[in-house]
Amino acid sequence: MMKIIELLKANEAVSNYKINVNSKESCELFYVKGRLETVRCTDTCDKEVTVYVNHGDHLGNAQFFVYPSMGEEEIKELIAEAVEKALLINNKPYTLPEKAVGEYTVESNFSQFEPMELAKQVADSVFAANNIENASLNAVEIFINKHTERVINSLGLDKTQVKYDAMVEAIPTYNGKEQSVELYQQYNFAQFDRETVKKEISDKLYEVKARYEAVKPEEKIDCSVVLIGQELAMLMRQIAYDLNYSSVYSHANLFKKGDHIQKDIKGDAITITMAGEAKGNIRSSKFDEDGMALGSIKVVENGKAINYFGANRFGQYLGETPTGSLGCTLVDAGTADESVFSGKRLEVISMSGLQVDFYSDYIGGEIRLAYYYDGEKMTPVTGISITGKLSDVLNNIRLSKETTTFGGYIGPKKALVSDMTVF
Amino acid sequence: MSFSKFLDSRRDIVKALIKELSGSFEYVSVLGADIKAKSVRVDRNTSNISSGRDTECGFAIKLSNGRNFFEYSLDDISGDIAALAEKIKKAFDVGALLDDAIDEVLLSDEALKKSFARENDFDSFSQKQLLDFCKEQCAALNAKSEFVLNGIVMLSTLEVSKLFISKNRELDQNYTWVNGNLLAVYKENGKVVQVREGAYSNNIGDVVKKLPTLIDKLINKASKLTLAKPITPGVYDVITDPSITGLIAHEAFGHGVELDQFVKDRALAKQFVGDYVASPICSMRDGAAAVVSAASYFFDDDGVLAGDTQIIKDGILVTGISDLASATQLGLAPTGNGRRESTRRKAYSRMTNTFFEKGSDKLEDMIASIKHGYMLFETNNGMEDPKNWAIQCVAEYGIEIVDGKLTDNYVSPVVMSGYVPDLLKSISMVSDDFTVIGSGSCGKGYKEWVRVSDGGPQLKVKVKLG
Repeated sequence: MMKIIELLKANEAVSNYKINVNSKESCELFYVKGRLETVRCTDTCDKEVTVYVNHGDHLGNAQFFVYPSMGEEEIKELIAEAVEKALLINNKPYTLPEKAVGEYTVESNFSQFEPMELAKQVADSVFAANNIENASLNAVEIFINKHTERVINSLGLDKTQVKYDAMVEAIPTYNGKEQSVELYQQYNFAQFDRETVKKEISDKLYEVKARYEAVKPEEKIDCSVVLIGQELAMLMRQIAYDLNYSSVYSHANLFKKGDHIQKDIKGDAITITMAGEAKGNIRSSKFDEDGMALGSIKVVENGKAINYFGANRFGQYLGETPTGSLGCTLVDAGTADESVFSGKRLEVISMSGLQVDFYSDYIGGEIRLAYYYDGEKMTPVTGISITGKLSDVLNNIRLSKETTTFGGYIGPKKALVSDMTVF
Repeated sequence: MSFSKFLDSRRDIVKALIKELSGSFEYVSVLGADIKAKSVRVDRNTSNISSGRDTECGFAIKLSNGRNFFEYSLDDISGDIAALAEKIKKAFDVGALLDDAIDEVLLSDEALKKSFARENDFDSFSQKQLLDFCKEQCAALNAKSEFVLNGIVMLSTLEVSKLFISKNRELDQNYTWVNGNLLAVYKENGKVVQVREGAYSNNIGDVVKKLPTLIDKLINKASKLTLAKPITPGVYDVITDPSITGLIAHEAFGHGVELDQFVKDRALAKQFVGDYVASPICSMRDGAAAVVSAASYFFDDDGVLAGDTQIIKDGILVTGISDLASATQLGLAPTGNGRRESTRRKAYSRMTNTFFEKGSDKLEDMIASIKHGYMLFETNNGMEDPKNWAIQCVAEYGIEIVDGKLTDNYVSPVVMSGYVPDLLKSISMVSDDFTVIGSGSCGKGYKEWVRVSDGGPQLKVKVKLG
């Protein structure tokens, strides 16, 4: 590292530089029908150098990777090439974060385990959940990752953080007399709890049994739709990401500060905060790729866009205070208690993918499994799709009081939406 | 561009490591990759030259004891090889974890030594030329219409060098690919839309020639889409453009015949080999050697030579596509479809260039045969469900067909969904056109992204749209 810095300092055309060093160690287990097929380990490190060159009224930058095999002469050449490229780039100037030094660890109990031991314990928890007759886990992949990220720049910034995360991809399968069906589950976490992992998998095994029993409704379903988990998290993230500085600067977003995302609120008002860190959240970080310390900012309040957020450069371009790249989406709990979710409804358990398009005012997708409550009984259903006008859905959305964590999302566990067509 | 000097310099030490590890494992292979991805991007206010996300330089070591596979990913193979071999062996000393392994599987390692290269013109274009081209096109795009809020032009180049060495094989390959994209954020009629057009080739010259010709088409499409309405949900007669045809091939039967899914009992197609799964007028293929496109290589990440696999022939399911491990477990010959997102990820059975073969119908006859329906254009995304054969394909837009004629009525977006056999058996006409779209990427589940292409002719199908 010192050698790279020395060489960057030796090139007089380099106005500033940034070096991102991202190391990853992982232990991975791949099971096929409950038996161990593959064990993988990775031990890798990326060193990416960004060279900044002030020229005239402009700032140009260019990146290159440094590999272990590279010698001094090769790195010198790469720096010179990067300078040449940066001189071609006529961007508006912006400043880099400066003079901050620190070593951090994002909170996780993974550090208490040896990675392979943790992978084994996660596997034990996953397979311990497999207790439904005729159900099985045909494929399970477990990834335990430790990331060490360091950012150094020429303005005295040198920060390091250690982050952990785990991912379980499980394919619960139900083998019945007539057919065999499956669901897909990807479960991410940064805090290991044996019982939580077991429950996640167990719930999916229950759901795959329901998918086996699911039928295509004979009659048209006309009722409210309940979105949970992945679909609700995705909807909220899409609203938030529309307010990212880079989208705003490149005119690639729809909502401006002050716009009412919910124009005629008849349900719960949506309030979204973007944050750098949230307990147990896999997107948690102490700082971003520029080394900016991450806090939090409310971007949507009571259905109205009130702030933008995002990384250093585009924040400065917009004349805003850069917040850094915030990965955690925190949505305020709603007012709906269980009684709101107890009537006639279609509770969506699994979709092929919820499609949300603000430009076309569209929300919809194909349902793989839903529970249809007709007022008297619950019937698992499949082979149907939902479609609606996004603005109407947002105006009428009811958000649960109960909250949950899903990937980078912490917020209401479920949402009741009306004005959707089931077909 | 020529083959990576770095990988060349590591041949002997890789062979030494293989020899060292061969004492402890029945199968040892090493895949080295040196991939340079570059992206030039210009919009109304900014420009950038950056490293693309596919950039990597590293190695994946694959081992087998006959009952388990082991993989170790690292940045370099150098220094004390005995110590490195010990480190790798120690990493896989996982004791009782291996007790419940899969059945015996012995990977083949037939002798072959060969170098492969595809000619390209990458050395004829400097970064300055590419940046200047993007700036010119961006200015032309922004000037084309007062309604363009932001025009964006991108050129993404990929230079691939891969080295595969095992006890009996030594293969190397280098090839290129370039994607050019025009994007516009466009506001007219009180509505904002985002539109794109693309060009792709293994030669930069082809892309810089084609891209400027697409600006008018892009602006015209943007204008029409500002007037697009939501579609009334229902079942319609539909014509698919080659992009949507390819999406159907990819999602309906591409993922469903990845043979690692057969090993896991995750694919319903396993029970239908030899049966009609589609209309007798349709045939489908996949292969890195089938066409020259985004997923065309000479050998896969298992060191198996690229193939051209007939998946469906005249409506009958023939076979699937495989990586070395899944083919071996199923007692089949591997098809050259073992692919990794990078040397840091596992190899799986993956699609390459997937397409329906062309038929004999004329597009105008196909449109004329529809009383009321839609022609669908441009892939947005899709999702597979190989076990249950549900399918969801999202098209950017559709144009209404009334009384056998395309109208000016645009709908957007359009979600096509249904049951795979219903969809494929509904294919009633297949055009004599053929286009493969070389700008796609594909995940397995929600991860393991690799570059793919897909396409084919126009198809006439009956399907649910919403």
